[in-house]
Amino acid sequence: MASSRIELASATDQEVVALARHGQETAYRELVRRYERPVFSLVYRMVRDRELAEDLAQETFVKALNAIESYRPEFKFSSWIFKIANNAAIDHLRRRELDTLSLDGSPHAETPEAIEATALQIGDRQETALEEVEARELGGEIESAIARLRPEYRSCILLRHVDGRAYEEIAEILGLPLGTVKTYIHRARNELRVLLGHLKQ
Amino acid sequence: MTRRPDEHLSPDDIDAWLAGQPGTAAQAHVDACDACRETAIADRALIEQLRALPAFAPSPFFADRVMTAVALPDPFALRSLDTARRRLFATRRSLALAATLAVVVVASMGLSVAWSLTHRDTIAAAGTWLTASAGQWLWTALRSAVASATEQPGYGLLRDLAATPARLALLAALVSLTYLGGLFALRKLMTLPSGPVSHANA
Repeated sequence: MASSRIELASATDQEVVALARHGQETAYRELVRRYERPVFSLVYRMVRDRELAEDLAQETFVKALNAIESYRPEFKFSSWIFKIANNAAIDHLRRRELDTLSLDGSPHAETPEAIEATALQIGDRQETALEEVEARELGGEIESAIARLRPEYRSCILLRHVDGRAYEEIAEILGLPLGTVKTYIHRARNELRVLLGHLKQ
Repeated sequence: MTRRPDEHLSPDDIDAWLAGQPGTAAQAHVDACDACRETAIADRALIEQLRALPAFAPSPFFADRVMTAVALPDPFALRSLDTARRRLFATRRSLALAATLAVVVVASMGLSVAWSLTHRDTIAAAGTWLTASAGQWLWTALRSAVASATEQPGYGLLRDLAATPARLALLAALVSLTYLGGLFALRKLMTLPSGPVSHANA
């Protein structure tokens, strides 16, 4: 058992996928072990909510592993799983943008009482333990600056400079032309330089 | 593509410079141009900061939670399917045989559907006859079983025992107790020994 674990650990992604396709549970677990941190980190930095990021990362793995038969080995497994993860995060951000609540109360509220009743009570809200962890984890200047980028720029910069993916792989993951990916990364770097400019001074 | 000496570095040039690729022209320009040098150095510092960001881990048992929602393919079914597929495509003859068989199956299914649609009355009559025959057979079998039971020697004794409600209740209690006792004994017999078991060869 231990030797097979070592063999799996040294196998390539394609070899592990081939074993998973033959119904080997340890191979599935090995794929999760390899990618849980990078996938979770990407999604967490995209949505900035630990609980939600965990749900989206779980959704990503379940989707990928249940569709392992449709995975084409000529592509990198990492590209495939990052593509699913990024789509899940971007979809969520788009949905959230549509569902954004007004801090000033419901737009349908007509009386002052109704406006007050539907307004978000930010001041009264207690910070949960989870939110405290998030604030610590994502509280750095650079994390905050990344959060201020457009989601497309954020995906690009995280994949390129945090995960160390090649431009070509990022283009494959995001389904964008190579030139667009390069442009997004350069613009993201420019924005980050400006946002972090005060640190230099 | 060559760059004029007075032209600023393009993003691609800066990437190449950051990657440490040998580009003497880019290096010379960085050395000479204050604006490009500032951009390139700031980019290098930014990239170092980004690279140093930690990877976050999901909460414990993440893999277990994922695995509970993943449907693993059945290895036996996969092997059987694989073997069948390999045998099917092994020779032209096996492929032709399988194709013929598939045509026969599909044709027979089509024919049976067509026949059923044109002979609905026959099917209905056959159904009625089958239902009636089965009912008659069941009724005969039940009557024979009851007649046979009443002719048994113990039937009279049982009838006497259950003659009054009090006797019937007593009989039911006795039967229940015997049943429960049997269950208890069976459970005792089937319990695995908790202590070490001595073996003949040990």
